[in-house]
Amino acid sequence: MSRLLENISKGLISKEEIPIPNFQVVATPEEARKAAQEIGGEIVVKALIPIGKRKKAGLVKFAKDAEDTKIIAAELLGKTVQFYPINKVLIEKKLNIKEELFVSITIDKNKQVPIIIASVVGGIDIEELSRQYPEKISKTMVNPLIGLPKYKSREIWSGLGMTSTKLKQCSTILDRLYQVFLKYDCTILEVNPLVLTKEGIVKVAAVVMGVDDLAIFRQKEIEPYLEVGSERSWKPLTDLEKQVVSVNEADPYRGTARYTEMDNGEIGFMCGGGGASLLLFDALLNLGVKPANYTEFGGNPPEKKVYGLAKAIISKPGIKGLFVCGNITSNTQVDKLARGIVRAVKESNKDPKKFPILVRYAGVNEAIGKQIIEEAGIEYYGDNITMEEAASLMVKRIEVLRK
Amino acid sequence: MAILINKETKIAIQGITGREASMVTKHMLDYGTKIIAGITPGKFGENVYGVPVYNTMKEACIKHEINTSIIYVPPAFVMDAVMEAVDNNLKFIVIITENIPIHDTVKCLYYAKKAGAIVVGPNTAGLINPEDRVKIGPLGGDNAERCFVPGSIGVISRSGGMTAETSWMIKRAGKGVTTSIGIGGDPLIGSSPKSLLALFEQDKKTEAVLMFSEPGTRFEEDVADFIKEGGFTKTLIAYVAGRFTEQLPEGTVFGHAGAIIEGGLGKPSIKIKMLREAGVKVAENYDNIIEFLEEL
Repeated sequence: MSRLLENISKGLISKEEIPIPNFQVVATPEEARKAAQEIGGEIVVKALIPIGKRKKAGLVKFAKDAEDTKIIAAELLGKTVQFYPINKVLIEKKLNIKEELFVSITIDKNKQVPIIIASVVGGIDIEELSRQYPEKISKTMVNPLIGLPKYKSREIWSGLGMTSTKLKQCSTILDRLYQVFLKYDCTILEVNPLVLTKEGIVKVAAVVMGVDDLAIFRQKEIEPYLEVGSERSWKPLTDLEKQVVSVNEADPYRGTARYTEMDNGEIGFMCGGGGASLLLFDALLNLGVKPANYTEFGGNPPEKKVYGLAKAIISKPGIKGLFVCGNITSNTQVDKLARGIVRAVKESNKDPKKFPILVRYAGVNEAIGKQIIEEAGIEYYGDNITMEEAASLMVKRIEVLRK
Repeated sequence: MAILINKETKIAIQGITGREASMVTKHMLDYGTKIIAGITPGKFGENVYGVPVYNTMKEACIKHEINTSIIYVPPAFVMDAVMEAVDNNLKFIVIITENIPIHDTVKCLYYAKKAGAIVVGPNTAGLINPEDRVKIGPLGGDNAERCFVPGSIGVISRSGGMTAETSWMIKRAGKGVTTSIGIGGDPLIGSSPKSLLALFEQDKKTEAVLMFSEPGTRFEEDVADFIKEGGFTKTLIAYVAGRFTEQLPEGTVFGHAGAIIEGGLGKPSIKIKMLREAGVKVAENYDNIIEFLEEL
């Protein structure tokens, strides 16, 4: 999932005529002061970084005037939170809140349809909401082939006890939010809080918008604004991770190579297949050896990709050996794999006698692969042992080094 | 016997002229699978290893008896392809394509379900029935015998690679499989382990089922409930991979897109606990499945 920063997501919903408070985006405390002056009154200052639960993290603050805004902006700007430096803040008019509401649209993975969660209590996160006010929440499944008829939006809010102009405003907003959810291939569109002001107007005070990475090909309009996190976790990529991303993207349509660096770890982990990699990582940990990285590769990668991946794995400082293992494959050419690994090992000046390497790979052309690997002095197995037996042999090789 | 596919399975491949689809077509044909037709718009009159190509499913269905579709079209066209198969009354659809936008997957699965069609996938390596020599998708490649021999065990796995490896472990234990199924690596799929267990329960030949599980989804929790309700009464052996992912920050995805722990849901430790409470034989190490198989 890719997130959009709040200024972008607010811009997109505003385009669909969903009411939002006035805001400006600034990069310095002085700009913040000016923006606050222009907007006038009490101000909300929000750090513009793509992480959830910003309020809890102290990244959403209230200022009573322009000078106060400047001080708060100065505190936030330049800080780094969860690896994200705060380069910009959003300066927004503080709404005169009478009531806070909640509405979220997402896809229910069990029911396999879009689900709308609405509540007449807002401003707290959904987990707490479910715990404290289960009776004030409504959950509605949507028929994906039809979408959300307008009457459903009314039913949702009316069912929560809402009436009069508030009901009309909230229903129209929900109706438009659902259109936004569809239009931009959202995986989540959450408004928390949706605010009823003392003036009687309903506005979106805060919005979280996540977009399906797999739909980016048809979301050209917003593509430049998508904050793509690491594919593996919500943090920026390390240098080695970036190196593997470029190896993978140099030839994007043949095979895949993914790499995630782990803290510390003793051995390079080069395993194939999503399921097999999970199994093998567990197996090594159970046997008392921590891998220095997580990897999966597969789909018959060309030699160059195997080489690039192996080279990156081996280059992590402090690792003592390399474990190459995968399930029996029907398409991966073991000879290409062998050539890529052997080249990376040689170029990295690793001597298999001092830097144990073990390969367990059975697939296409494995006889040639075996020959290439064994000629380089590397231990090779095919389907004569199981994957866990291979892991346990690898651990034995590392234990010898420890002595 | 087996589930979902047998000697009566008559297949049309949507997107048959693609590079990968045509190679897989050859492997399937060589294995003995009945591929009746291929669909690629604009390529009527061509053939792929002797399989005639049609512009539309409708034309193929007029000429031939077809009951199964394999979808190999690019992600952006999958939704249309599924609707085409469903509207031509096909009741079994296997979606091999991966990286389909989630909004499209939601619509496809809903559309098929409403019409009473069974979907396997998306993002599956396919399924195989070695006794009848029917295989669908790339599973087994051009050397299916290496991992898949006929027998009495059913296999369910999200990972295609582990569908093969697990079937090979069964062979190593001196047994074989009725049907081995890669259910697909996406968070939203047509046939869940629970729905497949319901079919294995009905299959006389299947004595026990082996399930390879990963983090994410509620599949195993649903299986545990299903067993407690009496929906599956045969032996179920399971292995849950990826226990280490519980130590990582939530939202980290390793392996398949579906392998994600969110909001405290999808943890392997909880799956293992619930499966064990339902009487499932959960292997501590993957190799232990061999001992469980020998006890059968």
